[in-house]
Amino acid sequence: MHVSGTTEGFLSCLTSPLIRSIWSKERNSKSQAYSMSKIIYIPDKLPTPPDQQPTVNVFAAVVEPKIINNLVRRLNQIAPLENLRHVKRVQKKHLEDGKTQIALILCVASENNCDLDVLSPCVQELVTSYKLSAFITKVCKEAATTKEEWEEQCKLWPTSYHPPTYNIDGITGFNEVDTQSIFGFMRLAIELAQSSSKSFQELGIYLLQVVNAAVIVDPSVTQVIASACDHHISFENASTSNVNGETSFEKSPKSLCSHFGSNGSIIHGTFPSSSSLEKLKQSCADVSCLYPLRWVDQPLPHSSNSCCWHPLRHAAIAAIESSAARDRRLFPTLETTGDKSVEMEHMGPLTKLAKRQKIDLDNANSKEKKVGTDGEGTYSKLGRPYLCTDYDIYLVWEPCIMCAMALVHQRVRRVFYAFPNPSHGALGSAHRLQGEKSLNHHYAVFRVLLHEDVL
Amino acid sequence: MDSSVEDCSSGTLRFMELAIQQAKLALHSLEVPVGCVIVEDGMVIATGRNRTTETRNATRHAEMEAIDILIEAWQRDGLSTSEVADKFSKCKLYVTCEPCIMCASALSIIGIKEVYYGCANDKFGGCGSILSLHLGSGEAPTSGNGLGRGFKCTAGIMASEAVGLFRSFYEQGNPNDFSLLDQETMKKCITS
Repeated sequence: MHVSGTTEGFLSCLTSPLIRSIWSKERNSKSQAYSMSKIIYIPDKLPTPPDQQPTVNVFAAVVEPKIINNLVRRLNQIAPLENLRHVKRVQKKHLEDGKTQIALILCVASENNCDLDVLSPCVQELVTSYKLSAFITKVCKEAATTKEEWEEQCKLWPTSYHPPTYNIDGITGFNEVDTQSIFGFMRLAIELAQSSSKSFQELGIYLLQVVNAAVIVDPSVTQVIASACDHHISFENASTSNVNGETSFEKSPKSLCSHFGSNGSIIHGTFPSSSSLEKLKQSCADVSCLYPLRWVDQPLPHSSNSCCWHPLRHAAIAAIESSAARDRRLFPTLETTGDKSVEMEHMGPLTKLAKRQKIDLDNANSKEKKVGTDGEGTYSKLGRPYLCTDYDIYLVWEPCIMCAMALVHQRVRRVFYAFPNPSHGALGSAHRLQGEKSLNHHYAVFRVLLHEDVL
Repeated sequence: MDSSVEDCSSGTLRFMELAIQQAKLALHSLEVPVGCVIVEDGMVIATGRNRTTETRNATRHAEMEAIDILIEAWQRDGLSTSEVADKFSKCKLYVTCEPCIMCASALSIIGIKEVYYGCANDKFGGCGSILSLHLGSGEAPTSGNGLGRGFKCTAGIMASEAVGLFRSFYEQGNPNDFSLLDQETMKKCITS
């Protein structure tokens, strides 16, 4: 299946037994809803309107088909299109009378002087000997980054198009298993956000209060690493974050299965109405990433010891803390064992080396790792994560700039969010941090559009 | 008490020196050497230094450490959210390196009054280098442009010292080499 659309046909090609069994349970009630859900890649830069792309002038000429090969070979030698590698040399045009007209680029024209006199002697020689009538035309300056841009470019002059890959899975589309897994984890995040609001209701403090929720996942073993809700106004007993870093889903992959197969009953338990997504969006006044400055106005419960609010403990920040705590617990530091002074002396270079090796390994093959993370607590040194490298995070709402930058620092690989954050969203709405070239890490960003009935 | 006259001279340098001391503590713990102090009414009320390696949490920057100390303390004292906000609005931060985009945003969220920093942060500085979050929206906090409250920001305080620490961190052949601290401490002893 492609990123932006699902078909019924993919049912037959499901390979994971887990997903298949879930799917067969839900296929009747949910297949329609899932097929209306989709995952949208949020690109690094705001796409320029396809018809407003920068162009450069080139000299071109209409030529006879039989001389094309000779001309192209010669031109590639004397006037290579150095900075226009995406531009095709030859343009084929179907004329109205059914004939085909072929034009080719002779060379790049200078910005200011478009006189034929400026042609280099070699090109001039070709023009003369083949009796070509050169003309000026426009081609797009930059390679297309989207299919839409490319289609528009080709109206001017044909170009080639290579979809970006960046080594991050999903940018060019997700397979069926990955798609279902992504929907499942996003559902889990939404459940967290809502179950938190339910706790508030039980406390009688707020009605329909919804917070943001974050779930950090190791996609290679479809395992939840950490999860958390907004803490900026939260309370001890309502907290769904686990400071020990261990979540119940992590202990047994089977409980994840039950989440996939829960048929949305948890959600509907919270919101009896079928339009739970609408309710969720309407009651989001307390989502910290949407209103980062609103913590000041939060009323507090009378007993102060039950309170643990924190203006900066947004869901993503809390989830990062939780995953770091898990890391510390599962992989205790070198300093705590053996001769401290010796360890200290070698720590710097060693960790640097380890990081480099890890990165090399990742570049070589991102699937060929995960030694010893079997979910039962037997972890080898090789299995130790470096921050959240290779992990995904699922957020109900697009993160604010603070959270988005925190995810850069923690080296998250992919960010999935369900709802945009129009005023403070940093991954496409108000900012586009994933396109900030100077940063030392870049993740891929996706929006997951879940159809209401999936929940 | 208004200490703005003092700010440009000895006061600022004094607080930045304390921030540098924090950065040195980080360096000795094999952390990226960034340190900070938060000052209220001319008094240091919190210090912080980078703890990203120790915590395996790359968001534990000096600023976040110092902010957390205050929030925890004020919460223990039973302060309300608005009282905490009021407190922060009177605080100044002295940090050896330009706050990153995350920290600059955090400082805007808590509503810090003023920030003094040492060297610029070309890779992810949020106070002028990459983004200018300190400028704020200039309008209501909810104006919808992704910018929050601004804060006054002064760059270049003891920048060379801050850069020197980074250099020794990235170049240090032996992380146990404390000569840098010794020199500085000695210099301080001589000058003061």
